[in-house]
Parts: sequence; C-alpha cells; structure tokens
Amino acid sequence: MTRFLSLRFLQALLVVLVMSFVVYSLIGLMPGDPIDIMLSGDPNMTAADAARLRAHYGLDRPLHERYLEWLGNAARGDFGFSRQHHQPVLAIVLPRLLNTLYLMIGAFVISVAIAIPAGVYAARHPRSWVDQAINLFCFAGISVPTFFLALLLIILFAVKLGILPAGGMKTIGQSSFTDQLRYLILPVMTLTIINIAQITRYLRSGMIEVLREDYIRTARAKGAHESRVVWRHALRNAMIPTVTIMALECGTLLSGAVITETMFAYLGMGKLILDSVLANDFNVALIGLLFACSVTLFLNLVADLLYAVLDPRISYR
Amino acid sequence: MVSLSPSETLIRDEAGLPPATRPAVLIWRRFRRHKGALIGGAVLVALALLAVLAPAIESWRGQDHEAVNLFNRFQPASAEHPLGTDDLGRDLLMRLIYGGRISLFVGLVTACLTASIGTVIGLVSGWYGGRVDAFLMRLCDGWITLPLLPLLIVLAAVDPTKVGLPAAIAKSPDLSLYRIVLIISLVAWTTSARLVRGVTLSLKTRDFVQAAVAQGASTARILFVHILPNALSPILVAATLASGNIILLESTLSFFGLGIQPPVASWGNILTNAQEIIWSQPMQAIYPGVLIFATVISLNFVGDGLQDAFDPRTEGR
Amino acid sequence: MRYLATGVLAASLALSGAALAQQKAGELTVAMTQFPSTLNPHIDSMLAKTIVLHMTQRPLTTFNEKWQAICLLCTELPTIENGKAKPVDLPDGKKGVSVTYTIHPNAKWGDGTPVTTKDVLFTYEVGKNPDTGVANMEQFREIVSIVAHDDKSFTVTKDKLKFSYNLMNDFRLIPEHIEKANFDPKSAADYKKKTAFDTNTTNPGLFFGPYKIAEIVTSSHVSFVPNPTWFGDKPKFNRVTFKVIENTAAMEANLLSGSVDYIMGELGITIDQALAFQKRQADKYNYDFKPGLVYEHIDLNLDNPLLKDKRVRQGLLLAINRDQIVQQLFEGKQPVAHTNVNPLDWIYDKDVKTYRHDAKKAAELFDAAGFNVMKEGYRHNAAGDRLRFELMTTAGNRSRELVQQVLQSQWKAVGVEIVIKNEPARVFFGETTKERKYTGMALFAWISSPENVPLTILSSKHIPTKENNWAGQNYTGYKNPEMDKLLEDIEVELDREKRRTLWTKFQAIYSEDLPVLPLFFRAEPFIVPKWLKGIVPTGHQYGTTMWSQNWAAN
Repeated sequence: MTRFLSLRFLQALLVVLVMSFVVYSLIGLMPGDPIDIMLSGDPNMTAADAARLRAHYGLDRPLHERYLEWLGNAARGDFGFSRQHHQPVLAIVLPRLLNTLYLMIGAFVISVAIAIPAGVYAARHPRSWVDQAINLFCFAGISVPTFFLALLLIILFAVKLGILPAGGMKTIGQSSFTDQLRYLILPVMTLTIINIAQITRYLRSGMIEVLREDYIRTARAKGAHESRVVWRHALRNAMIPTVTIMALECGTLLSGAVITETMFAYLGMGKLILDSVLANDFNVALIGLLFACSVTLFLNLVADLLYAVLDPRISYR
Repeated sequence: MVSLSPSETLIRDEAGLPPATRPAVLIWRRFRRHKGALIGGAVLVALALLAVLAPAIESWRGQDHEAVNLFNRFQPASAEHPLGTDDLGRDLLMRLIYGGRISLFVGLVTACLTASIGTVIGLVSGWYGGRVDAFLMRLCDGWITLPLLPLLIVLAAVDPTKVGLPAAIAKSPDLSLYRIVLIISLVAWTTSARLVRGVTLSLKTRDFVQAAVAQGASTARILFVHILPNALSPILVAATLASGNIILLESTLSFFGLGIQPPVASWGNILTNAQEIIWSQPMQAIYPGVLIFATVISLNFVGDGLQDAFDPRTEGR
Repeated sequence: MRYLATGVLAASLALSGAALAQQKAGELTVAMTQFPSTLNPHIDSMLAKTIVLHMTQRPLTTFNEKWQAICLLCTELPTIENGKAKPVDLPDGKKGVSVTYTIHPNAKWGDGTPVTTKDVLFTYEVGKNPDTGVANMEQFREIVSIVAHDDKSFTVTKDKLKFSYNLMNDFRLIPEHIEKANFDPKSAADYKKKTAFDTNTTNPGLFFGPYKIAEIVTSSHVSFVPNPTWFGDKPKFNRVTFKVIENTAAMEANLLSGSVDYIMGELGITIDQALAFQKRQADKYNYDFKPGLVYEHIDLNLDNPLLKDKRVRQGLLLAINRDQIVQQLFEGKQPVAHTNVNPLDWIYDKDVKTYRHDAKKAAELFDAAGFNVMKEGYRHNAAGDRLRFELMTTAGNRSRELVQQVLQSQWKAVGVEIVIKNEPARVFFGETTKERKYTGMALFAWISSPENVPLTILSSKHIPTKENNWAGQNYTGYKNPEMDKLLEDIEVELDREKRRTLWTKFQAIYSEDLPVLPLFFRAEPFIVPKWLKGIVPTGHQYGTTMWSQNWAAN
C-alpha cells in the first residue's frame, strides 16, 4: 500500500510538471494578446505603446525561456506577480480558493445526500411514478442551461420573494458568517440541481443491473432482510461508476463553475482561471490550473482506493 | 458457483431457439416492451426527420430561415409564423428546424465518438493495469484539467490547409461542423474512460472472465465479448447524459469563433443569443431549451431501453 | 420542471417590478460590468479604472458634457490669448509651446497634505521613465520640461505647438509624499508591484477628489466615502459602492431586486437590453441614451483588388440601409455616421456627402466597376471574379453579430456575397486587424475624444507592417498624400475657423474616398432611478463620475 501510494505521488508530480509546461505553452501559443485590446479602447494609446508594454511584461521573450524561469522560481516557492492585478499570485488565488471550497463542498454534499437515496429508490421501483419524477427532474437539471437556471432562481428568490441576495459575496459593511451563507444559497442550489442528475442516473442504472444479479436473488432467497440486501450488497456493487462520477464532478466544481460564478458575481476559481488565461496572466492561470489538476489527481486517487473497498477483489500492486 | 457472461448466455439461448428469434429480434422484443424508450425513439426519429427535410419544409412553407426582415422583429405567434419571429425577423420555427440539423448531428455523433474513444481507453487501461493503466489514467487526469479555452483559441488559429487537409474539404462549409465534432470528442472522452476502466477493474476478477482467460480466449475477444457488454450500462448513461451538454457546448465554441458562424442556426446559438433579451423575449430561449430537453429525455429513455434490451435477465421478469 | 420554470418566468415578468429598488438613506449602489485591474493612474489603460479614479481625483483639464475643454484641478485654462501659454522656439529648431498652470489653492490629498508642484514633478518623473510600464506614454513623451515656480504653479513645455496645446486630460497626479518611497528610478519596473494604489488602496493620502476609497475587494466591489479635504462642492452620499456584475442579464435582475440602484451607462447593459427594459419599466426610471464618440465602422482592406476601386466602396455603402438598421434595431438612439466626425462635435460639417440607401445607384456603380454579370444570384466581372468579401468581427458580441447579419442580407439583395467569419476579441484585435490579416471587411469601433485627429488611423505613415513592428492603426492601408498633409495641418492650426475649414475638407475627402464604411455612433444607455439626480452623461471617455459630487438623492 505504501509503495502504491508513493508511486502514485511520484506519478502525480510528473503529471503536474508536464501539465505546467502544456498549459504554459497553450497560453503562450494563443494568437493575439490583451494589450492590443487596450488600443481599441484608448484613443491616446499607440501601437508603439503596446509593443513597449509587451516588452515591459516580458511577453516578447521566447516561450521556453519564460517557462524555465517560471519553473525555477516556482520550485523555490516564488509564484510571482499577477500581470493583471499587480499583486502577488497567492494573494489573488487563496481567497478565491476558499470561496470555491465553500461552493464546492456545499454543492457536492447536498447533491450526494439527495442523489444517493433518490437513485436507490428509483432503481428499486423502476418505472414507478416516483422513478419517472426523479428522472424528469434529472433530465431537466442537465438540459437547462446554467445561465437560464441561475436567472430563474434570482428572479424567484431575489426579485419576487426578496428573501435572498441576487448576487455577490457579502453585504457590504457586514462580515458575519450567516450573512455570507445567504449569498451562498443560490449558487449552491444552481450547482446542485445541475450535478444531482449525473450521480442519480449512474446509481439508478447501476443498481437496476446489480439487483438482477444472481447473488442478490440468492441473498433474497436466503431470507436476508431487504434493506440489508439493498444497502449492503447491491449498493456496494453499483457504486463503482457512481464513485467515478462523484470524483470527476467534485473536480469540475473546483474550476468549472464559471457560468454560475459569473451569474451570481461570486468570486471563485473558475472565473479567475478563465480571466487569467484570456488576459495572458501566466502566473495566476498556472497556479490556478495546477491546483485544479492536483485536486483532480487526488480525487481520482480516492476513487481508485474506494474501488478496492467496494470490491475487495480489486487490488493495486 | 460459475457464473456465465450474459453475452454467452445470449449465445446459448440463440443456439437452442428457432431461427426466427435471432439476438437482434430478441433485443428488439425487449426494447419494445419499454414504452418510454419507444416514445423516446419516436421523438428522436421525428426530430431527425424534420432536420433532414428542413430544405423541403422551407420551400414548402416559403420561409427563408436566413432572410432578415427588420420590420418583422419579435412577431408573436401567428399562422404565418407559428412560433413567431426572432430578433432579425426570421421565422423562429424554421430556424429551430434548421438548428436541429446542426445540434442533433453534433449531439449524437459526438456522443457516440466520445463514448467509443473513452470505452477503448478504459478497457485497455483497466484490463492491462500496471504501467499501461498508470500512463493512461494520469493522461486522463491531466486531460480533465486541460483548460479548454486556450486550446480552443489555438485550434481555431490552425489553418486547415496547412495540416494537410485537401483544399476541397478545408474550404467546405461543413468543415466547422466536423471540427466541432472532433474537438468535443477530443476533450470529452475522459468521463467514459474512467467509468469503463473502473468497471473493467472489477469485472476482470470475476469468474466468467477468468474462465475465458483459462480457455485461451484472445484479449480482444475477452474485452469486447465478455467485458464490454457488462460495462454497457454506465457507457449508455454517459453517452446519453452527455448529449445535452454537447449540444450546449457547441454554442460555447461559436463564442470563440470555433463553432458555426452566423447566420447559420443551431439550438445552442439560438439559446445563447436569447441570453441578453431573456427578460423581454423569454420564448426565444424556451423553445430551443425545450427541444434540447426533449432530445436529452428521449435519448435517455432509449438508453434505458437499450440497457434492458441487451440484458437477457430482463427476460425472466 | 421545465414548464414550471417557464411559468415562474412568465409570472415574474408579468408582475415584474413588485420588489422595487428601496433606497437606503444616504447610500448609492452602482452596477458596472468590469473591475479595474489596477488603480494606479498611469499603469495599464482601461475604462473601468478611469471611471473609478474620477470619483477620487481629477486630471488637470478635461472636456465637459458640452465637449468643451475646461479646467478641473487647475484654476484657469491657459491660452495664448490670456498669456498663460506662449509659443517657443526649441533648441532643435522646432516650434514648441510653454503652458503655465496653477493648481487649485485648496487642493489637498485626503491625509491633509496639500497637492503641490512636487506631485506634478514626481508624476512626470514616473511617467517619462520607459521602464515604469505606463500605458499612454505619448503625453509624457511630448513634454520637453516641467518647471515649478512655487508650490502651486508650474510651466510645461511641449515639443509641438498643436491646437490642443493646453489640454492635459490624462495627466493624473501621483502623490509624491506616499509614492516616492515606492518608486526607484533605477528599478522602475518594480514600481507596479509596490505602488500604494494597489498595495494600500484605502490610504486616504492617495486621493483628493470628492470621495475616497473605504473598501475594495478585487473583482467584486469598491466602496467610497466622502473625502473631507475635497475642495469642490460637498458630495451628497455617505457611501457610494460600485459593484461588478459581468453578466448583463444578471445585472438587470440585480437592479430589479434592489441590490443595485443604478446602472452606469459607460459600463452597463447593452442598448437593446436597455430599450426592452424601458418598455417594461417606463415609469420607475429615467432613461438617457447618450450617443457618444464610439464610432462603429467597417475597415476595408484596401489591398484587396476588389476594394481598391472607389466605385465598389461607394456602391457598398449605398447598398446598405443604415437608417433602417438604426431605427429598427436601436429605435433611432444611435445616430448614423457619415464620417468619423460625430454630429455633436463642433467640427462636424452639416453638408458632408452622405450615402442614403439607394440600391439602384449602388447597382450602377457596381456595373461601372465591371461587376455586371449575375451568376447564382451574385455579381461577377468579366474575368469571373465574384463580388465576395469576408466580414469579420469580435465573436460573441451579439449586437455586432445582429448588424453583421442585416448587412449580409442587404448586400445579398444587390448581388454582393458576404461570408461571416468572427474571432475572439484578443485574436481579432491582437492579430487580424493589427497585422492586417483580414481579407475584406473588419467591423469594430474606435473610441475617440472630441476633436480627435485620427493621425495614426488615416496617415499613410501609420500603416502597420512587419518592418515597423506593426506600429500604427491604419489597418485599411489607406494612402492619400492630400489626407496625410491635411492631418498634419489640422494638428497645428490654432485658429478655430481656419481649422473648421480644414476639418470640412477632411470630411469631404473621407466621405469621397471611403477607406472605411461608416455605420453609426454607439449610444450609452443610463438607467437612473427617479430619485437620483445629478447624473450627466457626457458621451466621451471622461464620463459621469468626473462630476460625482453633484450626484444626490431627491
């Protein structure tokens, strides 16, 4: 086990290293750059100004040279400055990360808490009206575009009922936890509705299949208690795809909630990464993406370990 | 207890039955019993027919879906325009029908391609394990966090004639469509790969697989005849759930100049364009939204039906 | 779920406005779509920063809402007539100008330190250093010297006597008593990391305007409170907050829910959104659609053999119906452009050649240019070349994409084929226009100031090429010696009436040659609650926040 984990750790380091190079190159290879956009917005700026600024920010140097310099600094723990915000990278990234963690954990815990009982129930009573209702809700959740769902929730809870804030991080001038919590409700609700579908559907279809297996029939025939059959034997075996999906979704919540963050003016990682990439803010984009990458690696490792727990025949050597 | 692979059961069933009930017929019989799947299939066929017949419908109705008429903007539903007109006075019904050509093509083809790529990678990774697994899955982990945006912008800048595409294809108006399919397939295979790999890890320890190995079956045979049919349920769920997302993703690509260009219609871009006018013209978003919803639902029901149809154990119930 | 959702939306639209904006006593919350990346007046250039900075400080001079030059931080606008400006002969033989300004005697930074010539000299020192990373370097480059006479008055000598000699609109002061410690001339490149504007933004010593910054959260909001040391009219609000909401549909929802009071026109919702909003909420807000100096146009690549022919360019403009586009898409709020000179500018020539929609005349011009063979619905010339152009713009800009499709269909009606090819803004501006990679037409906007001389846009010396490292903004490749000379003459003509004659000539050449196809001037929609007074849109880049001390609740 120790050997397995240390091997995985080494692999993860390698992946992060390769990714840093790939991401750096990708951002560097994008044609055009944001400094030129300044030109069209300021009549007093000239193309010569833009060229000078590019040199000022070192954007005119060869890509590999800049990458190696970045890597050397990062290895020493110096992540540099944000080109866009003129602040140290960690001062920008860490608060955003914290905000995203609230959002991610909130949405993940609630989706799982609802999806698992819903999926199991739907599988035990396939094609019952409850199953159909659960299915419809799931399909609606994945086919409604995020911006539309977010707007509906804002209209309902902020404009009509006036009980929740329409967007933002906190009431300006206040800093209580309950106040922040109120600002979290709508974005978490949006992400939950979108995410619930996947977990429920995988669990449902996995359970339906497992419940038809011989050993479940055997267990039932032997007179095992139904809830024990369902929750211990069947769920365990149906969980492998579900665990996979949960790990993937949790990772997506970290960097992929861009639209939700934009609609609710919530300062999360997704928007930060997107904006930094578009602004050629290499330092911020890289740290953000490498963080997202590490989380994905970690979550998929957890999923792999859970496979072995769920199905003891699986072993990693 | 020696359990047989379901597909083997299928083959043995076939051997003992009269020629009229070949597997395909059996599958169809089981599929037919799933009412939702039948209705879903019918809806899909209807939508596809509309899409294929779009030019014929256009000339029959005498409504050009690209002809701008500024004096006819946002007309309410009428006999002439059953769903009203859009922001440039074009018949919304006709645009939705034409939009279906793009959206259904992209949604269905891409979902299949994605599932195929992911399945092969997942099977290989799960079956061989060890270094192969480590390499493929770490690739997958990195791929998941690969930032889509710079990738898209870089890809958009690639001149198709320079990568060896014959000018006839490179200049063809369908190029952007193929490009969308290719790009989405390239980025979206990770989910099904991780799903299939997880299931394969578990299945390869099962007795029926071990038995096949002992009998000296070729790896390809074991993977595709013994393991794949049992991993079908998560693959089907993944492919059918992804279709909705893919249809929406197409409009995001257009946002970066990678998708289809105006005035060509797709459900995704009709929906995205409605974003700014959603308060005054909500129906512009609701119609394409309902179509995407209908497609997702139908596909999922068909998926459920297929899952039942390919699973011989449904017979016994 | 879907239908439920639809119902909720429909119901809420029917009843919208039930939860009206509740004004909190003495407070104002304003929505904007962008957050400034830095608050240092000279590093980087973006509209959001200018808007925020104008709450907290003033440039020396500016244009008012009537587009006249006025003094803000200085006491009197220096002119040659009042003796405060003098043409001078420079050592290198060129003609320059010396302009003497006096800083307002009561101007004090928020910590009580007076605003003095020390700050002026320090700002110049920071700005002229090429390593600082100043965005608009030209305003420092044109300065030969600054001499301080005492604490409050100083003389600036510029290297060229232009008609705009007395303007220092972007000369925003940096407080010497705070920033001196952060600026090391030897490592000026580090200044952007140390500047107190970003590291200690709430330091009152950074501001001398009506408001000072009380709280700032990057990318989220910035809050202002009155600055007691401000020398002008007392600000009326106890607290003003600018809140960033990037999505404009969400911005509307925020306005309706009362979490913001007012949507700023400079960085607010789009014009079609505002027009639709006005229909539903006509009574609750005041609307002001101020047409401004944002000039939407189509650059034509004049290296394209088809576009080299003036008749084709004129035919293209005659074939489109801009009046109809403006009327139907924007309810007439955005005036049609005939040249790049805005009708509100005093130099505008009422009798400039216009191109009202005339398909017949367009057809004649195309015929005369040799495109008289109709095949597959499109015009061809004898050699078989089709009258076909690529029309590019920024992808994802809905308003432009609408205009683009209308143009495509109007041109199709006269046999011109248009292929739309859009790109993300960074590629479009960073490569396609800058390196002149577009083959036919590029639709975008120039932002200018009143009486702006488009030297870098129209002079043949400013065509970007690989050799000059893509310097210049003459993306069309327009070459006309007459125009080159005219632009240089205008710049140095001090006499208003003579200048008017030159500008008239300029507009005549522009409208005859049509290096670009003028479309319209964009309007900025201001949605102001009935109780909020004192918002005066200007239509140029020196916007409403420059007069924020006049904002008041009724």
